[in-house]
Amino acid sequence: MRKLQVLADSAKYDVSCSSSGSDRKGSGGLGNTHASGICHSWGADGRCISLLKVLFSNKCMYNCEYCINRRNNDFPRESFEPEELAELTIEFYRRNYIEGLFLSSAVEKSPDYTVERMLRCLEILRYQYNFGGYIHAKIIPGAAPELVHRIGLVADRVSVNIEMPSAKSLEVFAPQKKPKEIFTPMRQITNSLIERKALKGPGNMFRGVDLNTPSNMISTGNAPERLGSDDFGMMPALRADKKELFAPAGQTTQMIIGAGEETDKSILTTSENLYRTFKMKRVYYSAYVPVVDSPLLPSRGTLPPLRREHRIYQADWLLRFYGFNAGELFSDKDANLDPDLDPKVMWAIRNLEEFPVEVNTAPLDVLMRIPGIGSVSARRIVRQRRFSAVRYEDLKKMGVVLKRARYFLLCCGRYYGEKNFCPEKIRNSILQQEQGVQMSFFDGGTGGIKNDRLPL
Amino acid sequence: MIDYLYDGSFEGLLTCVYNHYYVDKAAGIFLPEEYQQSLMHGCMTVETDLRKAEKVADAIEKKISKSALRSAYTAWLSTADFKETAILNYIVLGFRKGPAVNSLRGEAAVFAVQSIIKKVSVEKERMLEFVRFAAVGTEGREVLYAEIEPDNDILELIGDHFAGRFSTESFIIRDSGRDKAIISAEGRWYITEFTPEAIPEFTKDEQDFRRLWKTYYDHIAIKERKNTSLRQKFIPSRYAKHLTELTSI
Repeated sequence: MRKLQVLADSAKYDVSCSSSGSDRKGSGGLGNTHASGICHSWGADGRCISLLKVLFSNKCMYNCEYCINRRNNDFPRESFEPEELAELTIEFYRRNYIEGLFLSSAVEKSPDYTVERMLRCLEILRYQYNFGGYIHAKIIPGAAPELVHRIGLVADRVSVNIEMPSAKSLEVFAPQKKPKEIFTPMRQITNSLIERKALKGPGNMFRGVDLNTPSNMISTGNAPERLGSDDFGMMPALRADKKELFAPAGQTTQMIIGAGEETDKSILTTSENLYRTFKMKRVYYSAYVPVVDSPLLPSRGTLPPLRREHRIYQADWLLRFYGFNAGELFSDKDANLDPDLDPKVMWAIRNLEEFPVEVNTAPLDVLMRIPGIGSVSARRIVRQRRFSAVRYEDLKKMGVVLKRARYFLLCCGRYYGEKNFCPEKIRNSILQQEQGVQMSFFDGGTGGIKNDRLPL
Repeated sequence: MIDYLYDGSFEGLLTCVYNHYYVDKAAGIFLPEEYQQSLMHGCMTVETDLRKAEKVADAIEKKISKSALRSAYTAWLSTADFKETAILNYIVLGFRKGPAVNSLRGEAAVFAVQSIIKKVSVEKERMLEFVRFAAVGTEGREVLYAEIEPDNDILELIGDHFAGRFSTESFIIRDSGRDKAIISAEGRWYITEFTPEAIPEFTKDEQDFRRLWKTYYDHIAIKERKNTSLRQKFIPSRYAKHLTELTSI
């Protein structure tokens, strides 16, 4: 009981909770996975609980400034036994409390020792219990490629946390972690997915593009490492077998927001690079909660920057699903997102010359760029207009948020916004309408957003 | 024009649709216990006729689409007021517009039915999340038992999910408002009338795992981010009473 308390307390600042992206049916054993993921509950902070999220151990040899489990922190320490955690997962799963296990760990003794223990637990689950539910495993930077590979064979999703958005702050805050040790397993995972023709990429970013070609393999050129991915393909035991699943739900990572000095622009540029290079499914963002005293960090009691985190998530969605690139989201003057309005509205206001757009003729990707129109409503518009014109009254039924959208669209040639089509005016009227409404949403930040769906 | 009263079954509803075309135009379709005599139309009780119902179902599949029949059925599972009349209007429009009908969200009849369906499917998804099993019985003869109280009659919509997931278990999910239950073993399931007298006691470990789960639940929340109103949005109070983590053990 105490172990579970301590190791849940240690794990809770990792924000990833999704159980999506894998669709395993009829495994023969207990459990399956559901493509869209399922949240089973929501905690008192409004964040969803989908997986049993625990650390395998919090006895950490590292001393990263931001982390609650840093060596210098006076904090209860515990480790699970592999068998014990496997049993707990099964018993929770049978009762439909959870979708599966999210297993991370502090670095106990060495990265390899830690990963071996985690792996033992995951292999008990998969091979002894025949567990077919969801497993998300963290890769500990610096672990041997063979171990990373074996984790990929039992996990649905794997992730290596980058934590700091730039090499510079990584050096300041987590001097024992090296960028090379983070990027090496990321690269290995992407290459393994390509070998299995299973790389899907983030959101719609690469829709219609075949990612699973040798040219997308990431070479080891820039950074020297212990074992290159080329050597790796030569090892018979590790050779790709197409039937053998390797991390079917892909790879993700996480960055902490508000610990270092980075601007939103540099954070999102880093994300975009991660999406373009490693084609990972998602980057998660975690508003920094001051849990330790450090002269380098915000003091305890400082509120976590939830609103900032929320805007960054919105921008992240624009990158993955709406065809935006990071550069477009910022004006020349400001490297941070506007805290008061969502990044799509801000982009539209800066680019008013592209509006208003006629909803009955605009192509889908243009519709998706109209504030207040999301991917669902854009598709509904396209479906209906094949049969009959979309009238202004219909837009609301399609799910369009008119209080935002009406400034930027024409419907059957008519404009429904105010007379003055100028940036300041539009900004102020949208702002006025949204204040109050948005407050409750911001209190909880994005943690409450269900799985992979973000209401835009 | 006439108001039809039906017996509450889907086949009964389809029989009324049959009558709409072959007997007298329907103004609305109602359950007798919910019907208030209208001044404008007379009313008639329709006897369910499986042959007529099947004819209508076939026609919907062929002339509109399979998904239109599915839509009508899913809407019928809801507890929305006047769902029968909404379904009638939707089917009538469907026969006029053909397979495109589900794309015409701007049409009031389509929007009404799609809104009802949305509520049903949202609740169905919620039940995939919120069913909480307890292990009952004795060692070697363990059964997982859960109770739910959904607004809509979604029990049959969640059977495949749980039977697929827990194909190595035997389980019962009881809709306690409707006194029926899914009974499942070895991946197969059926629905039957079910009253709870026969529920055995918890297994000896059950209480421990409930306690562990509650402990986990309480500790995983970040207190600096506390936001109970956001939680409330995801877990409406009416569902909370069957959630292990939100009830006292």
